[in-house]
Amino acid sequence: MSLADDAPLPYSQRPEWQDVTPIPQHESLSPLAPIFYTDEYRDCTDYFRGIVTTGEMSNRVLQLTEDIIRLNPAHYSAWQYRYKTLISINSSLDLELLLMDEIAATFLKNYQVWHHRRLLLTYIYSQGPETKGPDLLLKELKFIEKVFEEDSKNYHTWSYRQWILSNFNRNELWAVEIPFIERMINEDIRNNSAWHHRFFVVFDSGVRQGDENREDALRREILYSKGKISIAPNNLSPWNYLRGILDRTKTPYESIEEFVLPYTKSEESPESVVDLDNPPPSKGAHLPAVPAVEFLADIRESQGRISEATELFNLLGDQLDTIRKRYWDFRIKEAQELSQKS
Amino acid sequence: MTEQQANIPVLARSGHSGHCTRCLTGLPFSLVTVDSSKLPLIFYCLGSLDLLGTLDTATKESERESWRNDIWGLHAGGAWGSGFKPSWYMTGSDTKNDPQRTYETEFDTPHMIVTYTALLTLAILRDDFARLDRRGLVTFLRSSQREDGSFTSDPTGGDADLRLTYCAFVICALLNDWSGVDVEKALGFVRRCRTYEGGYGSAPGCEAQGGPTYLAMAIFRLTSDSPNFLNAVERRQTLRWLLQNQDCSGGFRGRTNKDADACYCFWCGGAIQILGATELVDNVALASFLGNCQFRFGGIAKAPGEHADPYHTYLSLAAISIFPPSESAGGGSWAIEPLDTLINAKSSTAQWAKDHIPSKSM
Repeated sequence: MSLADDAPLPYSQRPEWQDVTPIPQHESLSPLAPIFYTDEYRDCTDYFRGIVTTGEMSNRVLQLTEDIIRLNPAHYSAWQYRYKTLISINSSLDLELLLMDEIAATFLKNYQVWHHRRLLLTYIYSQGPETKGPDLLLKELKFIEKVFEEDSKNYHTWSYRQWILSNFNRNELWAVEIPFIERMINEDIRNNSAWHHRFFVVFDSGVRQGDENREDALRREILYSKGKISIAPNNLSPWNYLRGILDRTKTPYESIEEFVLPYTKSEESPESVVDLDNPPPSKGAHLPAVPAVEFLADIRESQGRISEATELFNLLGDQLDTIRKRYWDFRIKEAQELSQKS
Repeated sequence: MTEQQANIPVLARSGHSGHCTRCLTGLPFSLVTVDSSKLPLIFYCLGSLDLLGTLDTATKESERESWRNDIWGLHAGGAWGSGFKPSWYMTGSDTKNDPQRTYETEFDTPHMIVTYTALLTLAILRDDFARLDRRGLVTFLRSSQREDGSFTSDPTGGDADLRLTYCAFVICALLNDWSGVDVEKALGFVRRCRTYEGGYGSAPGCEAQGGPTYLAMAIFRLTSDSPNFLNAVERRQTLRWLLQNQDCSGGFRGRTNKDADACYCFWCGGAIQILGATELVDNVALASFLGNCQFRFGGIAKAPGEHADPYHTYLSLAAISIFPPSESAGGGSWAIEPLDTLINAKSSTAQWAKDHIPSKSM
């Protein structure tokens, strides 16, 4: 067999497709933003319009829609028709999921790819929540982690993971999340998606098995953020996370003032007895850290120590974070108005 | 002029106008994925010309007439109501351009985002909306809302993130008819998208991102009589996060710790404007970032050194309209037409839509 024989014939030349009438696409006289279609795409979509008109659902439709999706993963009529066909002819959805593993990895940023997976997972799960369910979903979480090797901040992938967790809401799924998040954060301490996911798992979707003591959970999470801040003091993600958990649990910011102070000074504090609750900035860190100065200013403002807060806001606006000069000036004005009112 | 103002390059207006007219003329196959979102792309092209004020000179009335007809060719009604279909890609060659056509299958129904962009595009083209099936549109909205308050992209299913809620709400605002949607339920869904950072994710549980945060602010404002739709604590937190997203390049990023991207200058910037805090943004740094995102052959890219596209071009121009640098910056090249930030169209275009889309019999 010569190499040329490997290239599939166009649908218009395949004997087994002769019973389908291809329908060319409507074209206006001065079309808006026309795409210069390739012959291959034109051929596939002509036959697809033909198939949709007759309503045929069969194995060959799966081939046709796969061909279209590979050429244009955003062709959602092809996706919709493919899903209906899979269900209607009772095709193996496990095989479909395998095919999708490859397609998802190729078209990560495409909405339809992830939507199709949701439909597949929902259907397969419904066939045996207790028998097939746990394995299916745990495998899916592993697949997602693999996809993160390519793009660890992909929004679709993260929201798909969040959907699996909250939609199926099974203990065995939640149980694997904290170790997973730690792997992600250890890989990239600035990955805000991973930090967000941590908040989602620990605080935003009910209480996990074994995590019922909320005071312990809070202490653990504060300590975790402090540890990560000490490694990279200017990293906004753990600071926002820390603010988030203090806000959520109505814990005053001043409760961690002792931790914050060394991060607001230009020089490293002299070595003292290591306080495990308040890890100091790592050697050579860029200090003072903007998020720490902001945090301390917030504490001073809440304590009514307005002149100290003003000084810190000025330090931010004039030296450390000049792009937000107008914002820091606004904060000064706001703090002063607030203090005059009280 | 301050030293920083002096660093702002010229805004290459005719280059950007040219980029958009070229895209309207034709696109290479490498952009085939826009086949299913042709109308949004057309909206970004024509919207850019509209904001630059070059629509009348860059296009001919005969072309605009034919485009209006083409867009009406995507208008269709059926079991789930009326709206605009995503593209011509499911329309056969034997089909006549009849705006009162019915869709035959569930695989070619109207689409929420496309319907929103079609209405705005027709307003840019100053259509009289005589062909609009208003009652059908209300039915379409109703068939697309789900139990949890969210909306799907089409009545048979599909994505259900904040983009869809926003489009549904703007359609209601343009129609001046909210009878097709359960507003309270929808707002409940939007509130559940708020995160600990103060921004909003695209669905409950998702990370705070500039796009959905703009959408949430616009949704709240469209249904609120006052600009105080967030409580004081929430407002403070949201503003903090939004402003924190302007990084040292002068551009905005969409999420904490990501890189600045031209489109977020609008998404974050628009949200800031809706919150009434426009003056807190460093507009000079913003203009200098967007100036650096200009592609040498026209159009604006997501970041310096990248290729331009109509999406980033339009949203950059919209951001400039909200945060113009001084009148003399870049030789006076930065003046952009005023924007209706809630609807996301040139103010006079949004006004045209509000004047012509509502039913005349009401």
